Order: sequence, then C-alpha cells, then structure tokens
Amino acid sequence: MIELSHVSKRFGDETAVDDISLRVAKGKFCALVGTSGCGKSTTLRMINRLIEHSEGDIILDGQAIDAYDPVKLRRRIGYVIQHTGLFPHWNVARNIGLVPRLLKWSATDVQSRVAELMHLLGLPVDEFGHKYPHQLSGGQAQRVGVARALAADPDILLMDEPFGALDPITREKLQDELAKLQARLHKTVVFVTHDMDEALKLADHLVVMREGQIVQQGSPLALLQSPADPFVESLLGGLERGLKQAALTRVKDHMTSMGPTLPSQSRIPGTFSLRQALSMMLRDHSDRLTVVDQHDVPVGELSLRRIIKEAQLDNGNPRE
Amino acid sequence: METRVSNSLSVAQSHKKAPPWLWPLLWGALLMISVVTMSAAEPLFRWIEPEARQVIYDRAGFVTLLGRHLFVVGIAALVTIIVGVAAGIAVTRSWGSDFLPLVAQLASLGQTFPPVAVLALAVPVLGFGTLPIIVALMLYGLLPIVRNTLAGLQGVEGDLKAAAHAMGMKPGQILRQVELPLAAPVILAGIRTSVTINIATAALGATVGASNLGDPIISGIVNGNMAYVVQGALTIALLALTIDSLFEVLQRQLRARSSDA
Repeated sequence: MIELSHVSKRFGDETAVDDISLRVAKGKFCALVGTSGCGKSTTLRMINRLIEHSEGDIILDGQAIDAYDPVKLRRRIGYVIQHTGLFPHWNVARNIGLVPRLLKWSATDVQSRVAELMHLLGLPVDEFGHKYPHQLSGGQAQRVGVARALAADPDILLMDEPFGALDPITREKLQDELAKLQARLHKTVVFVTHDMDEALKLADHLVVMREGQIVQQGSPLALLQSPADPFVESLLGGLERGLKQAALTRVKDHMTSMGPTLPSQSRIPGTFSLRQALSMMLRDHSDRLTVVDQHDVPVGELSLRRIIKEAQLDNGNPRE
Repeated sequence: METRVSNSLSVAQSHKKAPPWLWPLLWGALLMISVVTMSAAEPLFRWIEPEARQVIYDRAGFVTLLGRHLFVVGIAALVTIIVGVAAGIAVTRSWGSDFLPLVAQLASLGQTFPPVAVLALAVPVLGFGTLPIIVALMLYGLLPIVRNTLAGLQGVEGDLKAAAHAMGMKPGQILRQVELPLAAPVILAGIRTSVTINIATAALGATVGASNLGDPIISGIVNGNMAYVVQGALTIALLALTIDSLFEVLQRQLRARSSDA
C-alpha cells in the first residue's frame, strides 16, 4: 500500500507539488492525470526517492520512505519510463536481469526469471534474448522495459508515461496487455499519463492534478458522472463524456431478459461496452440489439431507451 | 617474422574480408624488418647521400633506439591515460563539476604550448635526458584524452543514467557498468590520437639528450646527412602506423561488441 499525506515538493521558490494526499490500496491501479507541468511525474518520483519530498509523509507498507535506504527502496519498486531507458550496450536478456543481478541472485535464478518474464510479455527468448535495444520496435522495447521493471517481482510498479512515445495502435495493444497482466499479477501501480482515455481504461483510482494540487480523485465512473469543475470536465472530454462513461460500462449490466426477437436484429457479446453497443445501433439503424454469451447464444436484449433511462438514474445517484 | 607475414597474407586471400589483425601485423613486421636489417640497405642510402663518409647511423642500434622510443612514449601514455581519464571522470561527477571548466582549460592550454617550449622550460628544472621529454609528452598528450573522456561521458544520455539510478544502481555501478562502457569508443579514440601524436613528438627528445628514434634525425640535420634523417623518419613512421592500426583493431572490436546481435 502507498499512502501520501500532505506531501509537498518545493524547488527553490517554486512549488511543484502542493499538499497532496492520496492512498493506493494494495493491488490497485492508480492513474495520475493532468496537463504537463502539473506535478504528476514529480509525485511519482518522490515515491522511489528519485526526488526527495519537502513536506508531509510518504508511507510504504506502513513505513515512512525516509526510513528505507534509497538504493534498496528502488530495487524493490519497479520503474518504467517513456523512452524505455534500456541500456544500448546490453542485450535484452541482460537488460531484464539487471535488478535481480543487483540483488545478487544466482546466475541460474536470473536466467530462469528472465525467461519467465519474456514468456509473460510475449517475447520468445530464442528470438529476442540476444537482440540489442536498437534492433527492437518501439512496442517491443517497451515490453522489455516492463519486463525489466517486473524482474525482481516488486509489489509496487511506477510507470511514467510508458506508452506516450508509441503509435496509437501499438499503444492500445500494450494498454490491453498491461490490463491483462495487472489482472494476473495484482501489483500496486502508480501510472502517470496525460492521456485521459488511457487512464480511464486502466485505472481503478483516478487522480486529476493541476498546478501541483489534486483537483479531484475517485473511481473513473465517479469522475465521469460528476466532475468537480470545468477543468476536470474538459479533461474528461467535455461533450464526449457520455460516450467515455459508456465505454466503461458493460452491455451485460444493462440488458433485459429476452423479448420477442426480430430475426434481423444485430448481436453483441455481453462483455462489450455500451459505447460499442451504441455505435452498433447507429451503424445498423436499430434501437435494439440481441446480447449473446461467448458461445453466440442469445441471453438478453439491449434497448436504446433503457440505456438512456438508466444513464439518467446513474447521474442522479452516482455509484462508487 | 617473415612466416607471420606470409601467414596473414594467405589468410587475407582465403577470406574476402581482411582479418582484423592484418594491418598491425603487416606494419609491425615491416618495422621489425627495417630496424633489424637497416645496415643491409646501405646501397639504397648511399644513393641518397653519395658524398657522405658514412650512410648508416650507427651510434646506437636501431633496435635499441626503438626500445627507448617505445619506453618514453609508453610511460607518458600510461600516466596521461590514468590522469586524463581520472580527471574526466572526476569533473563529470556531481561533486567535481565545479572543476569542469578549469580542467578543460588546463588540458587545452597543454596542447597550445609547443613541446619544444616545454622542453626548454623543463631542462633547467629536470636536467638533460629522458625525464623532460616524458613531461613534455604528458602535457601534450593530456588534452585529447581529457577532451574525449569528457565528450564520451557527457554523451551518455541523461535518461539512461536516470533509469540506472531508478533501478537501484549505485553511482559506482552506474559509472562502471553504464557510463564507461558507453563512452569507451570515444575515450579510446582520444587515447589513439594522443599516443600517435606523441610517437612523432618524442623524437624531439633527441635535442635534450634523450636517446631515441629522434637521434638519427637530429644528427642527420646537424651533419647535413639526409640518409640519417630518412632512417629515423622511416622507423618512426612505421612505428606510428603499427600502433595506430593496433588502435584501429581495438576500436573495431569495441564497436562490434555493442552492435552485433
């Protein structure tokens, strides 16, 4: 668990981070979102003491971080940065094995851990183990970056705009992979991004920052339903907000039991989002869809009228 | 010696690409042949200086002169490499950064000072002989090493150092495992320049009584004997080519280490 209480950071007269408090429960994914210069990266770097905070307390697993030796602290916190920071003179396997080697694991342990991680991130050891960073695509390099951060199996993972330099398709793919990875590994993640869609997609807990302060924090749905001020609302996409909220809601949660099915009605899997359902309705000029399970067997029905009614209800009583 | 040459030549023919050690071996063999068999080339030098009483420099054997030359250049190189690289490392650490402009200036000052002037100033203090020339070579050879060490270390991306720091590497580990290996090709290029220049500059030692391959040249100039000058200059040139091609091989291997899959 990570807990920041009344933390500030001053560089000379400049206040980069101003009295922020936040809590990331064990195994949760927290995204810090804001425009550049809002203090989100500074906040991240204070957690592994790359930057020492000026005031307040940062508590890691019940102990203030000032009590840890900075080098040992960093070795137990995974860290991923935008431009990967892979060492160009080391091959992929050696890059991934860095922290275990620093922790003096035996050579065979390092080797098997590297192989395990490369398998986990879809990089076959035979093909990639001996490649050098300059021989990798942007997406592959960032996978190696994530593998390196996970190498010593840290409980905490800090990610500083890890997908910011990737093309949109690769970025989306890596976001999906990270979500799957997180569902398996349950790391405590603090993720910095300026891309609100990325944050909405990945985070359990969303923290919006501006000028060193936290403007609003809560679950993605809670923020979408009631943004604290126009700044948060514009970050959340202004008029697009309804669709972003729909993207976070699953079809399954809004379907009704089967009515009389029209044969021409389009089918949608229950795990898809309401946003995809709305898009399908627009495309097919239809206000009803048949909801199917993973075996394509109809299990319910989704109607436009009902989605709109329930959206009103949701806005009336925000759910946490 | 001859068999080594023919070996490397046959290797060169059997492969399309010349083996890396071909050139240093070739120049080295030529150098050894020329210092060992210099007197056998008397007819050639007689053709250059038909009037002279003697055409082969014989106050000391060429092997001895080569040995002394290598000794002077080697000692100077050893000291400059240690001092230059250490200074370059020190002023790029956070605790030494105050001295960066000073060290950069001192090193370039050393280079603008002509070696002859250094000799003239050093002789009254250090006396005649080998010591003043070693001092002059050290001052003269320091700049390329300091400058390239600085350029190499400063050329390591800040992102990489930050990442190494964030992974929990200690400053010494970052220096040894990240900064120096990445800066090595540039530092080695500086050492190469320094040593090659000093092989030629060391000949000046002959003017202050340090006996080396400069002796035949100075003696030839003083006595108007062109054959002596050619003998000294030829040997120095072959030595410079041998050492320079050795560095070329080292640099190529260093580059190959970090770029080959």
